Amino acid sequence: MKRRAIKRSLILALALVQCTFAQQRSFVACPIVRDTKTVPCFLAEYEGETYYLTIQQDIQAELYPPQLLHEVLVEGTVVAGPRICGGIPLKPVKLSVLPEVSPACNTILPAEPGIEAPPTRRPAGPSTRQAPVIPGGAPPPAGRAPQERLTAPFAEREFKITYDFDSTFLFSRDTRVVSQAATYANAAKAKSVEITAHRGASLLSNGRILTENQAIATQRGERVADILRGLGADPASIKVRVITDVAKPDGVTDPQNRLLTIRVTP
Amino acid sequence: MKLYLMRAGAIALTSAVLTWAQQPANNWVVAGSTGTLPAQMEFATPTGKVGVLFTSGPVEMKDHPFFTPLGSNGRACVTCHQPAYGMSFSADAARELWRRTSGKDPLFAAFDGSNCPDQPQEAEKSHSLLLNRGLIRVPLPVPKNAEFSIEVVSDPAGCNTSATYGLKSATPMVSVYRRPRMAANLKYATTPGQSIVLKLGALADTDPATGRPVSMNIMADAREATLTTQARNAALGHVQAKSITDDQIRRIVDFESQVYVAEISDRTGGNLAEPGGPASLGPKAMADHKTGGLGDNDYDPVFLMFDAWKKPGSTTQDQFRASVARGSDIFMFRQFWLRDATHINSIGLGNPLKRTCATCHNAQMTGQDLSAGWVDLGTNNYPRWTEPPLYSEAQELPVFKVTCKATAQPHPYLGRVIYTTDPGRALISGRCVDVGSIVMQQFRGLSARAPYFANGSAKNLRELVDYYDRRFDMRLAETDKQDLINFLGVL
Repeated sequence: MKRRAIKRSLILALALVQCTFAQQRSFVACPIVRDTKTVPCFLAEYEGETYYLTIQQDIQAELYPPQLLHEVLVEGTVVAGPRICGGIPLKPVKLSVLPEVSPACNTILPAEPGIEAPPTRRPAGPSTRQAPVIPGGAPPPAGRAPQERLTAPFAEREFKITYDFDSTFLFSRDTRVVSQAATYANAAKAKSVEITAHRGASLLSNGRILTENQAIATQRGERVADILRGLGADPASIKVRVITDVAKPDGVTDPQNRLLTIRVTP
Repeated sequence: MKLYLMRAGAIALTSAVLTWAQQPANNWVVAGSTGTLPAQMEFATPTGKVGVLFTSGPVEMKDHPFFTPLGSNGRACVTCHQPAYGMSFSADAARELWRRTSGKDPLFAAFDGSNCPDQPQEAEKSHSLLLNRGLIRVPLPVPKNAEFSIEVVSDPAGCNTSATYGLKSATPMVSVYRRPRMAANLKYATTPGQSIVLKLGALADTDPATGRPVSMNIMADAREATLTTQARNAALGHVQAKSITDDQIRRIVDFESQVYVAEISDRTGGNLAEPGGPASLGPKAMADHKTGGLGDNDYDPVFLMFDAWKKPGSTTQDQFRASVARGSDIFMFRQFWLRDATHINSIGLGNPLKRTCATCHNAQMTGQDLSAGWVDLGTNNYPRWTEPPLYSEAQELPVFKVTCKATAQPHPYLGRVIYTTDPGRALISGRCVDVGSIVMQQFRGLSARAPYFANGSAKNLRELVDYYDRRFDMRLAETDKQDLINFLGVL
């Protein structure tokens, strides 16, 4: 009886893993731009299916669109529901613009009746005073979050940044995190600011593994250390640890391994 | 007193009675001029008048370091920053000056007022880039940390292959050729920036005196942090001074910081700054408006509202003004695919981006970028450069081949091998992604200071608008183009 229950649990767990994996999509493709009567949608094709990635937003957005003339690494989970802009939606999804130029990635499709972009706070033209209401109550733009008031006592605190694949670029959303870390370190008169920079890999749905370049973790660490120093963190307190060993990719959590942490110890 | 010497008394007198028939070149202020410049001046331009306002009142030029030669070549700051030419100068004015002085004015100094110092200075062709395009030579070393190698592909001007001044000389230099920026409305261009530059995801440069982040919007390649560093290096470079005192620099910066320039009247549009008209027009509006305004919106736009000029009317003036208002609307609201522009599409906004002119030219009153503003629009880099698309004997600018190292982040839209007439910001940052990127310029007083773009390639506003139309496939109708030209022409 007990054995049967264990077996049943194992089968269930396996099914759950398979199901999760079946819903996971990791692939490299050319982005496709679909014009609409409002903002453009960004799509990608994989194994004969079209996936919806995101729409044009603005610099405050949490998810940035890919770029024509570049392939994009898509790492996302299929979600149930209607197609968006003609594509199967992925959520969450991580989009990495691959650095080398790919001239073949150059498709813009015209707007078609019946294909509409989801509502967006920022229209295609200049911003407007009245932002459209987003069904489901999307959170306010990350850049406009109220400033945290920093007072003693200060505890150890960790700040995290995840990167696009093979990228050291700190987008607006990332520089906000570095600024917060610097502000906290300065307020806490931190004894130690430890930066740990990682290098990642991604298991694609076709079984191929993409590994980030050897120097990327070092470059990530140095770049953030530079900014922290510039924002007033005590240079003597800053230590950079570089982890060049790559965690085994699983095709699900890989974006989280392209990681940099800033641990601030008062 | 030679005719071309515009002494201050003469300026004070004539500025009040300028007529349309007067040639702008007659208003050239020679280095070393004496007398007083009045606080408000108007100068004829090909389309109207440009207004110059000194908010601190009349300026005595005698012994003022902005107007006094400080170095060996006879130049002063005013040589390249002329009040009658929007505190820059036009190529037309340079040609007229060459004709009247037989090339003896210090503007044509061998060091950077000629294509190369080792060329025969009496020959007009040795100054062709200055005379044809209003360009000044800017010699820069390749940064030690450069992520690229650079070689000369062609060198019509002859300096980059010069044994003395070229890239393979004892002191290797890259000579690029750029238009002098207007030394006016500088409270806008120097509005302090953020600590972290949005376009780089890295720290902004800081003011060496205060440690505070700076705008990085003063020079074409953002190499000068402040007006102080700019004045010092311009004196030691362009002016060939051996030294400059702190007091001289302070006086130069104080002077520059209170100069405002904008178009003040148009031949067809009439008085641009009349009460009840668009609030952004005229030099007083430039002086009065707040800095740091982000105009990429529909309620407080880049050059404010032009509604007052939208009303229908039958006069030529009414029709012209309505055209200007339409031009403002095109600038603010006409959507197009903004694509392959480094430091716009590459900073998270996506490529392409369905937006408008005001997305990039978003700083209120000037049309610069409120963020540190270098962008690779394409004017410098093949194949979108402003030079002829095919081989042409008329090509004037040098062409460089920039090859990025394997470890470098490549240029986002041109890859690892880039042909360019000016590496732009990359000659300062050393980064491949910056090749061809140039800081945006102000849109004010344009009629006084053609040609346009940093490389002087657009002879007039029509050529400028045509470039954008081609570059972004905007498909502007003829009437759209004229509306944009009229709009830009009154700023």
